[in-house]
Amino acid sequence: MCKNMATSLVRQTKLLSIVTSQFNSAACFRNIHCTAACLKNRAARIRVGKGDKSVTYEQAYHPHDIGHRKGWLSQHTSNLQGEDEAAERVVEDVFIRRFMYGTFHNCLADEVVIKRRGNLLVICAMMIQKLLPSKFYFLIGYSEELLSHFYKCPVKIEMQTVEEKVVYKYL
Amino acid sequence: MAASMTSVWGVRVLSKIIHGHLLPAAAVRHQTVRSRFLHTAPVSSSAVSVSEEPDVLYQRLSVRVKGHDKAVLDSYEFFATLAAQELGLNLQKAFEAPKHIDKLTLLKSVHIFKKHRVQYEMRTHYRCIQLSRVTGSSARVYLEYIERNLPEGVAMEVTKTAVEKIPEHIQKPLWDDGKQETPSQ
Repeated sequence: MCKNMATSLVRQTKLLSIVTSQFNSAACFRNIHCTAACLKNRAARIRVGKGDKSVTYEQAYHPHDIGHRKGWLSQHTSNLQGEDEAAERVVEDVFIRRFMYGTFHNCLADEVVIKRRGNLLVICAMMIQKLLPSKFYFLIGYSEELLSHFYKCPVKIEMQTVEEKVVYKYL
Repeated sequence: MAASMTSVWGVRVLSKIIHGHLLPAAAVRHQTVRSRFLHTAPVSSSAVSVSEEPDVLYQRLSVRVKGHDKAVLDSYEFFATLAAQELGLNLQKAFEAPKHIDKLTLLKSVHIFKKHRVQYEMRTHYRCIQLSRVTGSSARVYLEYIERNLPEGVAMEVTKTAVEKIPEHIQKPLWDDGKQETPSQ
């Protein structure tokens, strides 16, 4: 019964989003959000579709595969037993991910991996070869400088470039 | 070297030294050494200092590492034991303590649907490496090397048990002196 309610709600939101997108073009920018926002059985999962969606390794495996088939995207000690300040690290991580996503516009091939070694913050990113190497170097220096000023700690960006997004499978 | 060492170890050093003869090794709670030392420049080569004070002797040096990934802890244990063997330290034990799992059961949905929950857990794996009969300077060198190479996502706790001479005022028991103490009235 609950599943039926959830699926009917999902169909209603799809209709509503089509309707609102038509309205959006006419300078009306309000969206209506109807689904249960925190559906934890749909979090971080790409649903199986027709077979035309390309998906990376990170996106293909679901959160319960972390530790078994996936690694951790953010590595710090505050989630261990007896350690504190987990919330601060999460907030920092969210900001860093949004910052990287925005600075390197459309260049990220995969999720950013954040590692903390002592005071040092290491950001590991995989990029598509969309920009010239000199532009990449400038953006790396700019982000390192800015982030180290924000967080008052040394920040290093380790970058690897790939020609295209590495596809694991098609869903 | 000494200056950088003090900045590494922090200020809160609770060093309670316990007599090795009278009591079995009770833990000397050194500060919880987390992997948060400062990223300093490379240490200069003139770091060897000779002093006339006798070196502190440790009966046992216990290094406990904890992390989320067991494979990382495996490789770190191999690295630490190899380092201890190369430095000539006595490796007493290297074992794995049982893991600790923190479980949370939350509601799956934001509103209603009480019967449908979702469970999350956080696993903490432990490894313990115990070295016996270490001198203070070798302990410092070993621990600095181990700490600089701690992988990310791994925390370390160090417990040192030091050995000290019995102080003079309790070297002989009172009843052996042969003094007749008159009872006070």
